[in-house]
Amino acid sequence: MTEKEDIFEKAVESLRREPVPPGPPRELVDATMAKLAERAGSPAEMDTGNHVSQTEWLKPLRSFGRVAAAAVVLIAAGYAVGRWSAPRPPDMEQIRAAIEPAIRQDLLDETRQYVQLSLANGYLQVKDELSEQYRQDLSRVAIQTLAASNTITNELLTQLVESISTAQVKDQRRFAAALEQIELNRLRDRNQLSSAFATFAVQTEDELMQTKKDVAHVLSYALPDSRPAPYDLETPDNSNERIEK
Amino acid sequence: MIDWQAIIEEHGPAVWQTAYRLLGNHADAADCFQETLVSALNVSRRQHVRNFSALLTRLVTARAIDQLRQRFHRSDCSRSTDDASAVEDEAPCPAEQVQQQELADRVRQLLHQLPAQEAEAFCLRYLNDMSYQEIAGALGISTNAAGVLLHRAKARLRELFELSAKEQERG
Repeated sequence: MTEKEDIFEKAVESLRREPVPPGPPRELVDATMAKLAERAGSPAEMDTGNHVSQTEWLKPLRSFGRVAAAAVVLIAAGYAVGRWSAPRPPDMEQIRAAIEPAIRQDLLDETRQYVQLSLANGYLQVKDELSEQYRQDLSRVAIQTLAASNTITNELLTQLVESISTAQVKDQRRFAAALEQIELNRLRDRNQLSSAFATFAVQTEDELMQTKKDVAHVLSYALPDSRPAPYDLETPDNSNERIEK
Repeated sequence: MIDWQAIIEEHGPAVWQTAYRLLGNHADAADCFQETLVSALNVSRRQHVRNFSALLTRLVTARAIDQLRQRFHRSDCSRSTDDASAVEDEAPCPAEQVQQQELADRVRQLLHQLPAQEAEAFCLRYLNDMSYQEIAGALGISTNAAGVLLHRAKARLRELFELSAKEQERG
């Protein structure tokens, strides 16, 4: 596009975008309404503003009829004179052969020019329509792609939530199993400790009884036989009963 | 019975905009506005009008082009300074605004040199944003003929614009 064409387009755009004051003004509307009311009362007028009655139309037609009749008479007289004075009728085939190529060429040029103009206009229209169609297709594909991506994203999020839930359940189960194992170990250790303590107590009791016996035995050597023992010695039967307790 | 008050309230602003944009001053636009509505009244008496918007758009364009033609025949293309002050200033730069105003005036001066139908088709297309089908319907011609008419009008207007630019450069 040349600079002059740019200026022309700019000029058209300037005229198109030229600011226009808001209107029409109220007084103009009132004046127009008054004029319309005035005209509405009068008989209909032609679009040019001059009312011409039907009889006035007929007047020039009548004079035209007279002129036409005179013209017909003159043409008939001229034809008769020409017919009598003409040397011979023209060769129509020769005239046709002479003018036909030129007429054909002119007709071809005009047809070509008309077709080119029509094609140019059709091209612009088709271009506009294709652009609009392209925009619409693009919008539709974008909407479809967005919807599909939303669906896939939702599915992936659902899978992620499910996997997290499964992992949490597994962890809870493992934790419960570990707690159970710890409890079992604690109970087992407690039992073992109880039995160890019991064994230790029995053994200690036995050792103590044996020591008492030994001490009594030693004292029996040291004290006279009439003298009673400083304390009663327990029989082995009693000690066994205490152990059982 | 046609409610002209409602028609003016509905279509009046569009008619006013078209008239003012083509004529460029308040007085001529007001005359054109009144003539357009009187013509619409006459048309509505002769035939049933189904689309007042299209009728008024076509009538105001035709009347405005007629007034442009009469104005430039009288060599009276002066622009009222009061009207320029009445218009709200939206251009960022005054120099650019003046340049745009000059370009618009040049298009107005050249529009009246086009044949009436071509000028009308050009205005309907490039100033009123009507489609080819709407222009064809408004002018009573086929769509292809409307396209050819617009192509010729634009080409001729561009040619006239270039000629006037050359004359200005020489002057």
